[in-house]
Amino acid sequence: MSKLFARESIKEMKLLKNEPPLLAAIIFIIAFTAFFVIWPVIKVITVPTLSDYSGLITTTRWARALYNSVLMTVISTVSCTAIAFVFSYTLSRADVPFKKLFRFVTLLPIVSLPFIVALSYILLFGMQGIITKKLLGLSVDVYGWFGLWMVQTVTFFPYAFSIIYGVMKSVSTNLEYAAYNMGATRWQVFRNVFWPLCRPGVAGGALIAAINVLTDFGNPIMIGGDMALLPTEAYMQIVGWYDMKTAAVLATALLVPALMIFAVNRYWVGQRSYVTITGKEISLKPFELPKPVKWGLFSFCCFVSIFVLTVYGTLVYGAFTKAWGHDWSITFSNMRYVFDKNIEVINSIKFAAVSSAGAALLAMILAYIVQKKQVGINKLLDFIAILPGAIPGIFLGLGFVIAFNSPPVEITGTSAIMVLALLFWNIPTCYSASVAGIQQIGSSVEDAALNLGANSFRSFKDVILPLLRVPFISGFVLSFLRSVTCLSVVIFIYSPGTIVGTISILGLVSNGEWGSAAAFTVILISIAFGVLELAQFFLKKHGTSLEL
Amino acid sequence: MNSQRSSNDYKDKFIEFRNVTKMFVDFCALDDVSLSIPKGCFMTLLGPSGCGKTTLMRQLAGFSEPEFGEIFLDGKKVNGLPTYKRNTPLVFQEYALFPHMTVAENICYGLKLRNMQKDDQRDKLKEMLKMFNLEGLEDRFPKQLSGGQQQRVAFARALIMGQEVLLLDEPLSNLDAKLRVDVRTELRQIQQRLGITSIYVTHDQDEALSMSDRIAVMRRGRIEQVGTPWEIYFKPVNKFVADFVGTVNFINVEVKAVEQKKIYLQWKGITFEIDEGGYQVKKGDSAILVLRPECISITPDDNGAHAANILRGKVSFYSFLGRVIRYWVEVDGNTFIIDDSNPSTAGALEGEVNIMIDSKKVHILPDEE
Repeated sequence: MSKLFARESIKEMKLLKNEPPLLAAIIFIIAFTAFFVIWPVIKVITVPTLSDYSGLITTTRWARALYNSVLMTVISTVSCTAIAFVFSYTLSRADVPFKKLFRFVTLLPIVSLPFIVALSYILLFGMQGIITKKLLGLSVDVYGWFGLWMVQTVTFFPYAFSIIYGVMKSVSTNLEYAAYNMGATRWQVFRNVFWPLCRPGVAGGALIAAINVLTDFGNPIMIGGDMALLPTEAYMQIVGWYDMKTAAVLATALLVPALMIFAVNRYWVGQRSYVTITGKEISLKPFELPKPVKWGLFSFCCFVSIFVLTVYGTLVYGAFTKAWGHDWSITFSNMRYVFDKNIEVINSIKFAAVSSAGAALLAMILAYIVQKKQVGINKLLDFIAILPGAIPGIFLGLGFVIAFNSPPVEITGTSAIMVLALLFWNIPTCYSASVAGIQQIGSSVEDAALNLGANSFRSFKDVILPLLRVPFISGFVLSFLRSVTCLSVVIFIYSPGTIVGTISILGLVSNGEWGSAAAFTVILISIAFGVLELAQFFLKKHGTSLEL
Repeated sequence: MNSQRSSNDYKDKFIEFRNVTKMFVDFCALDDVSLSIPKGCFMTLLGPSGCGKTTLMRQLAGFSEPEFGEIFLDGKKVNGLPTYKRNTPLVFQEYALFPHMTVAENICYGLKLRNMQKDDQRDKLKEMLKMFNLEGLEDRFPKQLSGGQQQRVAFARALIMGQEVLLLDEPLSNLDAKLRVDVRTELRQIQQRLGITSIYVTHDQDEALSMSDRIAVMRRGRIEQVGTPWEIYFKPVNKFVADFVGTVNFINVEVKAVEQKKIYLQWKGITFEIDEGGYQVKKGDSAILVLRPECISITPDDNGAHAANILRGKVSFYSFLGRVIRYWVEVDGNTFIIDDSNPSTAGALEGEVNIMIDSKKVHILPDEE
């Protein structure tokens, strides 16, 4: 059987020579990706020697970093998944007020900067914290594992939520009614019907949270304190000692578990999903929950929501406060400071826009070929498109530094390296958005155009291209949001001329310039939200919307 | 009645598939299929899913190329010709309307590709909108239309091309039952009026029988039988065809005698007497008697003389459908399905009954074992 398919694949590949543009596109994409994704990865892995790798076990500090990373990932994943589960259950099954607000709370952290929660947490509970110092008169050290755990939980539960909620929404309430109809109690329905159907989604959500916590750089660098983690330790090796080898060892130690989580999610959880993408509406109103359960869920969601809103509120307040912790009067000087340094904001926007346009275009072409053309290597192309998603940002950044600081491609310190790194980092995001859009295109519209007398070029131009506009916009916007808020990928590759907003904020925070950092953050979030709203407006005209 | 065309052969073969074989990865979708379709004919490809009917039609449209065999359209070989040069408008099962174009743009897209003048396009569009009752909807997008309207747009988009061929791939399968019956009548009338040679793919025998000039029944990549609806229904060539186009009773019989233009068949001590009607059977052959439910009549048991073709049995079950009652009658351990098309207002028959076979409407097949 596999032989037959192999033969079919070869047959399809031979047919490609009749379609030179398609063939050229495929060769270009493979070569391009190999050079900018595979090559840097190989470079990083092969820089250290075997004895360098053994240092991971023998050097206490690095072993500690590995242990800490794993521990932090485990506890944060548990807390993220628990909160995500309660939120999803409440939003999909409970008849409570403020649902729109809860939904908004789960969206906020996704469109925000990676270290926003850490920054705000420090402003709230730190040495100069508004709650700890001003209200309670305490002097607390928030830096360390507990603070980081809290921050990671708030930052990444929305990622788990989006997966779990999607699954719960699509589990038809009719199934639950069917079980009630057969005489099951509430608990039996939950345990025997609802929970088994959600389980793959919960696992998927947990893994998404895990990979994000594991590879996160922004929050640990701000609030981790003495707690060494793999990404922050790798960063210290470079900026502190310019020790490329050790950094590579630590980054590789990060890559391995990240790849494992990625593979489990993709090939194990993915195959166990009961959800079919039919977009079927829930047909019956969910069964009424017992009052204590319902209001218990509601209170929990309110508590989390208040916390999240406080985090963001604090940031805005901080942006307009003279000297956080000392002088609480209102000022515009922070904002003025940001406008004076507008080059960094402009860089952020510029790099995000260019890389996202590139990523969205490349991903759209890839998605189109994988979904609509039989080229014999569809599976390989699909793998190429999702692969960068398994590579931690810090690893990719390091890879770019090592691979492209010498000929043939010497682009260290240029804008090009920033754009290219962000471009490839965002391909999986754009690809998913494009695939979702292209799957909506009926399988025979292209056949219909050909049948009416349009040649391949005309059918692409008249039918496919207009229909790809929506997937392109979706991919572009998601990629733009990720790029503007990205820190881990660019931290190694920026130069004084290509410094971006997120890096400035990191610098401001380490200097204790809270007000300016907050102002900078508020401006970047506003830009992200502005672009998002603009896209939603445009997509609404096309009868669709962006799912985050 | 001389044909306007020079050759009769050409007229009978407006579309011709000659020994067409199509292989997919792990099975043979079309196995040496030959089929000729005369000009103006409504030809239905009928068969269960996976029998190759859609594949055969798609070979003509050029969506894929057969491994072996030739395909002719209007006397010209079309193998290797790209889809967009074949002029074989097709109505897709899921309509395949362009979601980003209005009704008018959808319908006129083919004309636009031919660079037809805007005014001429408008005239043709008007004609189509009228024919398909779509007036006033021309500026809507497909998703703003009902299923039935979308389907009419799909017809209009294909017919506006003014070709002599129309391909229809289960175009009615997404409509609800009642609408489907209405549309098939309309569609057949339009096809006859315009004289378009049509290939219609379906798995629904009612559609096939009610619309077609000819039906080709397919199974596993082969054509089992080609014929008029009457031939297919009353004179199927094998059990598969007989069973596929409607409910049927099969009775394994032995030929007792062939004499005086009558065939005498023996089944469990009962003799059936049927008209000879060109069947090639001889004494001692085993055969299958093919009986449609409506070709058997049912009467209350009268204990009367048991002549040929009359059997005694017992009603085991019935189902009342309004215009007809369907009975399941046990005779000697075998069940006969019988339709009584003139149900009594008082209710169904019960208990012992007589059933009588109409000797003019039976059919016999050679034993397939």
